[in-house]
Amino acid sequence: MAGAPDGGTVLSEKILAARFAEVVLPHLGDALSLARWLTGNTADAEDVVQEACLKAHAGIAGFAGGNPRAWLLTIVRNASYTWMAKNRPRSVVAVGDLADLDDVSPPPDSDADSPEAALIAKANSAAVEAAIARLPQAFRETVVLRDINGLSYREIATMLGVPQGTVMSRLARARGLLMTELGGRHEPA
Amino acid sequence: MSPHEISPHEDGLPQDPQDMKLMIHALVDGELDAAAALAVERRMAADPELAAEHARLMALRGALANVQRPVVSDDFLARIAAIAEVKGAEEDDVTQPAAVTAGPQQFAQQQQGNVIAMRPRAARWFNSFDWRQMAASIALTAVLASGATQWLTTADNGSDSFAVAVANGHRRSLLAATPVDIVSSDRHTVKPWLDGRIGVSPAAPDMAKDGYALIGGRVEVIGDKPMPALVYRHHEHLITLVAEPRQNEAKSVPVADDLSAGGFLLVHWTDDAFSYWAISDAERPALDDFVARFRAAIIANPAAGSPG
Repeated sequence: MAGAPDGGTVLSEKILAARFAEVVLPHLGDALSLARWLTGNTADAEDVVQEACLKAHAGIAGFAGGNPRAWLLTIVRNASYTWMAKNRPRSVVAVGDLADLDDVSPPPDSDADSPEAALIAKANSAAVEAAIARLPQAFRETVVLRDINGLSYREIATMLGVPQGTVMSRLARARGLLMTELGGRHEPA
Repeated sequence: MSPHEISPHEDGLPQDPQDMKLMIHALVDGELDAAAALAVERRMAADPELAAEHARLMALRGALANVQRPVVSDDFLARIAAIAEVKGAEEDDVTQPAAVTAGPQQFAQQQQGNVIAMRPRAARWFNSFDWRQMAASIALTAVLASGATQWLTTADNGSDSFAVAVANGHRRSLLAATPVDIVSSDRHTVKPWLDGRIGVSPAAPDMAKDGYALIGGRVEVIGDKPMPALVYRHHEHLITLVAEPRQNEAKSVPVADDLSAGGFLLVHWTDDAFSYWAISDAERPALDDFVARFRAAIIANPAAGSPG
């Protein structure tokens, strides 16, 4: 921080603490969801979110309005990857891989229709979770941010620093993989 | 990446089948305005493949909605709430010890209300007790029970809350990317940096030869006051030394006082200029040794303590 703190910080510190309560605390569930899907398990997610919240608290003055959930999740995402780089260096997807993933065109449709949809709808949550966990990182974070955290395309694009079109194609690819996997199981549930 | 030119199709939707599929996703995601949504629905009505994609997407959405969300436990929520709350509560308590004016206190209560709104149990606790009574009784408890917990000391008015603030600052520094704002083992760098930031700096002897290497400094804000903090490394442990410029009314603690807060050990003492708080997760003997050597170093070389 550039400016030296001075006597005027008392009030602003209080306002910042109140803002932390408004901006951060209501979205802890979403923060835990995202961290859980990015790190792969619930126990690590709490550590990551706690670290993210410390950063959020330090940076709360920089919250310039907008969607507080998107703001917090951006911090959680960064904290998750920092944590992953430190604790699971092997599982972090290198940036170079993303471009390859984005170029791959969607898989050809196994022109199944309503029976497949019925299978997908009936998939139990364990199967859904396993399918999400198997997605490549870039697809997983996009589908989690959209379908679990409920962010808009624009918010996801801003967070990931990619064009909206990329968000849309990653989302379509991610969902395509999920639908293939869940719809392909032919054993009765 | 199909090269599709902007063909004047009457509904303005993409001709490329893959791009059209993205429009179905956008429809499901509520990203389309009414006109575009209507156009996509018309296309779906005419194209069974698009309709099937839509049905699969809706099914997937239902499946994803059933995925279990992590539960925010009370314990976890309290831990996160404490990040802001500890700081806020201490400011309220430290900055208005005796002369409590109505305005700030009302604000403080409003403030606590905001934070505690998320914690029903804590809210009940605060509402049903007068906070001064509570602080007094807790101060007594803290004296009786030497192993005072962080939760108790947080609510206390005096030096204990200061100790907790020091402990929290130390904990934050351990979690942060770097524990120091200015990295240097040279007091000639650390002192001017602190002076430039906040106009005050303590003696900053490097005691590397004694096993306590000065690794830098940072600014801690405790209560409403920024104050200098030095960071030393002792083997794998970090020691934070917060130096609070002494006020006239502050009580003198010439003999080092052993405390603990937030799971860390502290040593507190004063000299003419500063009230010092040394904190570490190192063992008590190591911390005491550090304090003894630090005090000896600044007595032996007072120049290190002169401003500038």
